[in-house]
Amino acid sequence: MAQPKDRRRVVVTGQGVVSAIGTGRDAFWNALKNGECGIGEATFYPTDELYITIAGEVKNFDAEELGLSKQFLLADRYSQFAGAAAAEAVAQSGLEMPLQGDHAYRAACIIGSGIGGITTMEFSYKMLFEEKKRATHPLTLLKTIASSAAAHVSIEYGITGPCFGVVSACSTAPHSIGLVYQMIQNGLCDLGVGGAAEATLNWGTAKAWQAMRVLSPDGLFPFAKGRNGTVLSEGAGILVLEELEHARGRGATIFAELVGFGMSSDAADMVNPSIEGASSAMQFALDDARLAPGDIDYVNAHGTATKVNDINETRAIKRVFGKAANDLSISATKSMHGHCLGAGGGVEAVCVIKAMEEGIVPPTIGYDGPDPECDLDYTPNEARKRDIAYAMSNSFAFGGLNAVLIFGPAPA
Amino acid sequence: MDEVATKIIDILKKNMKEPSDSIALETPLTDLDIESLDLAVIVFDIEDTFGIEIPYNANEEVEDFATVGSVVDKVKAIMSENKSSGAAA
Repeated sequence: MAQPKDRRRVVVTGQGVVSAIGTGRDAFWNALKNGECGIGEATFYPTDELYITIAGEVKNFDAEELGLSKQFLLADRYSQFAGAAAAEAVAQSGLEMPLQGDHAYRAACIIGSGIGGITTMEFSYKMLFEEKKRATHPLTLLKTIASSAAAHVSIEYGITGPCFGVVSACSTAPHSIGLVYQMIQNGLCDLGVGGAAEATLNWGTAKAWQAMRVLSPDGLFPFAKGRNGTVLSEGAGILVLEELEHARGRGATIFAELVGFGMSSDAADMVNPSIEGASSAMQFALDDARLAPGDIDYVNAHGTATKVNDINETRAIKRVFGKAANDLSISATKSMHGHCLGAGGGVEAVCVIKAMEEGIVPPTIGYDGPDPECDLDYTPNEARKRDIAYAMSNSFAFGGLNAVLIFGPAPA
Repeated sequence: MDEVATKIIDILKKNMKEPSDSIALETPLTDLDIESLDLAVIVFDIEDTFGIEIPYNANEEVEDFATVGSVVDKVKAIMSENKSSGAAA
């Protein structure tokens, strides 16, 4: 693909992931390609007053065992997830950290969260309102704010350029990654850490989601006839992005190129997605990548398994891809790692890059047969071999906030 | 119409964009111009009013939410279930 000379190219040199099906890229990928499910009975909070009792919990996550520094050990679980994913991504990139001097100002750290440290907040309210404690723990505020993960990671690696958290519900991660991409492309930065983390599995959040009536009582089955809602999970997905020549100059391993980023807003409804919004974000990402629909081999769908999302996403894909929609491999890996909200698109970006590397499309599990209104190839139940040159990752959030990333092969 | 039905119709009217006076037990909910999020709010209101829990899922089309009358029947069924399980305990 010919890239114009005026545009700096952006490549992926590091990836990190925390998920209900594994912490670390290798464990995560093995689970994905084998179709393993990380959703089960919730254990982090009492479920006797809930009728939705399942979740995708990150089990046995131990920040200390993972070797995270003291600042992370004192932080909210969501920041610890970001710390673990960033550590993996940075280690993989081989960058010399912490960054030093002027170089450090040319690096970005954009790590968002749909909500931030809400479990810390819930705990502090419990102490105040229920236990009648005199004061909250002094770190309550710093643990709660949704920019704390970005701040902690910037401190850890001496990143002194642009640093903040993005908030856009389930599109947070691709918005964060996309911003780092644009900062590098535009020449503001040479590298950056981008992604999102989420850890909202607590009693109050479970109650709030249950009240929205969109959760499934028994599993997340995207695009399937028997789908009946989404399932909350938690995790983090973070990439190290770098300007192509910067990465080449230091002999870094390049895993993929981030070739396209599209975003749009439905500007219509808080919960009902629009075909226009979803399809325009996909089209803008294709335009940005200067690709035709037929160039895309794999789409990692938003695929939340709600009745409305999956029909809307199918129609939007058909609108953008036309006849080429029938040649696409699509899968919704949320069926395995659950819906980790703001972190979803980050976790799924790691999945997409590994799928390209291995030539394997991970499956949509729990697929019990087609819904007549969802009639594309969703890679049901078993992974499939396929050479993937370009892959798209969709995220469509509550409020109609859409963000789409397209990855391509590492430049020769 | 009994008290349960009257209260439920009041809750429906409160959450409709253009409340209608011609709501009957036979009226299908789809005729009431209620969006999915409004229905979640309506169910919340009903639960609060009657002190019950209704395991409603917006992803499923269920008989219990076909007409105003079926909602009334469902609420009454849950209320009497709660009473009998309370007596047993």
